[in-house]
Amino acid sequence: MDFYLGLLQIIGVHTLLGLSAYVVLLTGQVSMAQAGFYAIGAYVAAMCTAMFGLHILPAIIVAGLVTAAIACVVGFPALRVKGLMLVVATLAFGEMVRLFFFNFSWQVERGGELIGPNSAEGFRAIRFFPENGWEIWHVTGFIWIVVAVVMGALWWIDNTRAGAVLRAVGHDETAAQSIGLNLTAVKVGAMTLGGLVAGMGGGIYAHTVTHIEHAVFGVLLATFAIAYPILGGLGSVFGTLIAVIFIQGFLVEGLRFLGDWRSLLFGALIVLAMNFRPTGLLGERMPRLFKRRGPDKLELKEAE
Amino acid sequence: MDYFFFIDLIQSTVDGLLFGTTYALIGIGFTLIFGVMRKLNLAYGAAALAGTYIGLVVFLMFDAHPALVFLASALGSGLIGLVVYLCCFRFTPSNYPMASLLASVGMLLFIDEVVIHASHGLPYPYPSVFRDAIIELGDVWVRGDLLFVFFMCVVAMAALFWLLYRTPLGLATRAVSQQPRAAQLCGIDVTRVNMMTFGIAGVLGGIAGAMTAAAVGVLSPVIAMGLTVKGLIVVVIGGLGSIPGAIIGGLLVGAAENIFLLLRGVTERDIYVMLLLFIFLTLRPGGLFGSAQTRD
Repeated sequence: MDFYLGLLQIIGVHTLLGLSAYVVLLTGQVSMAQAGFYAIGAYVAAMCTAMFGLHILPAIIVAGLVTAAIACVVGFPALRVKGLMLVVATLAFGEMVRLFFFNFSWQVERGGELIGPNSAEGFRAIRFFPENGWEIWHVTGFIWIVVAVVMGALWWIDNTRAGAVLRAVGHDETAAQSIGLNLTAVKVGAMTLGGLVAGMGGGIYAHTVTHIEHAVFGVLLATFAIAYPILGGLGSVFGTLIAVIFIQGFLVEGLRFLGDWRSLLFGALIVLAMNFRPTGLLGERMPRLFKRRGPDKLELKEAE
Repeated sequence: MDYFFFIDLIQSTVDGLLFGTTYALIGIGFTLIFGVMRKLNLAYGAAALAGTYIGLVVFLMFDAHPALVFLASALGSGLIGLVVYLCCFRFTPSNYPMASLLASVGMLLFIDEVVIHASHGLPYPYPSVFRDAIIELGDVWVRGDLLFVFFMCVVAMAALFWLLYRTPLGLATRAVSQQPRAAQLCGIDVTRVNMMTFGIAGVLGGIAGAMTAAAVGVLSPVIAMGLTVKGLIVVVIGGLGSIPGAIIGGLLVGAAENIFLLLRGVTERDIYVMLLLFIFLTLRPGGLFGSAQTRD
């Protein structure tokens, strides 16, 4: 049972990671910086609880806000360039964050031992959950409450004018600009929101694994982050969720008997999926089942 | 700022400039593909690595001459470039760039894993030439193998320029990169040109991979990520779609990397290279030679 609860935790934090990329992808920008934001969130939240004795809830909120602020600052220079150049810029940012934590060392003494990030060794003993007597199902429940709140909020945003604005920029920048939308504001806003979600996800991740190090937050994680929403489809938040369940639940855990060949399968699967279903599993539009009457009329019709 | 520090600095710069030609080659490959397809091929570094491993197989199995090993690396990488084109770019919709981008990422993971599987993740020795030859210019030493790397890369670039500016195929390639639709109206088979470009870029990548491995002396799967990231940085600094930009960018990144290595140590080196990229993005988003039109 503990195994399945642990798997649910992994799916939960990866959903947050995927959702953070989803928000940015809605504006048509491919950001490879999500792993970097995730790393910042993980380190900040871990520092809050392990070094300064904060509760987990304020810790992940602080982590989310710090990450959002950094994402906002990074967004301005990075979003001056579009599309492909942005991929490179964000990739470089993600690597820069990883290398920063590779060199980052700041330890305080707490309870007789040194606690804190220690450059290449990573950040050990992030023991908020065991220290406070949280059972594994408490942790899983907590993660999924956060995931539900974030998904609900994004679902709501998607159905308001803000969602239409994001999608408008994603579909056609020139058209969006000509109806008076401020492209920079929209893109930096999406980046900030993505940073917030990624930071919270990273904060939770740090506490579930209790030990984080720079190597985890590499290009591979950034790839996973953008792969979830694109594979699932940008129609709604559920595409991301389904892709995470499929990849983490089925491909990574379900096929464990295949050993190392799984990672081979992962790459091949992405290639196949993009050839046969380029707009993702659930497609680019919201599934019919979930459509409401009101926002329906506001939805953008795709120009061919 | 004593004399020896100054010599060290010059030494690092020279080594960096020589090695930077491999980055320039990778950058040219990215730029060529971007030029004709307006798309980024993230599997390019991995394809270069896989080609280099094909060369390594030739070396281990037949104990071949280094020249033959390098040739096998280049051709193998060219072949894998064609496969990448067919798998990731030929059949994905052209008006939905995310699909081909993610497909090439999938290909990157796939090739990387195949290589790691085949080699068990272990580093292998790679043949190099003129290892012991050293040219002394005063107190600055020029390593023979690096000089060879430099020479090979310059030859590859010269061949590319000849191909692009003196042959019908080059004319067609340049036409497609300027105006795909007009080129098609003139009777140029765009698909064929795209395919050839992937092949040519693959060969360049294979040479860059082989030269990187020859300069380091060992080949391990780790270099794929380095080649990809450095190549992309080179392209951004030089300007997407500009070949002279990629050359200058490559030399600049190579030299900067070595100078930061000397000043700040190996763990912090790449941070400063990335910072350099960000400075360029902020101050000159189009790159050194990029025009406004090439900005996607």
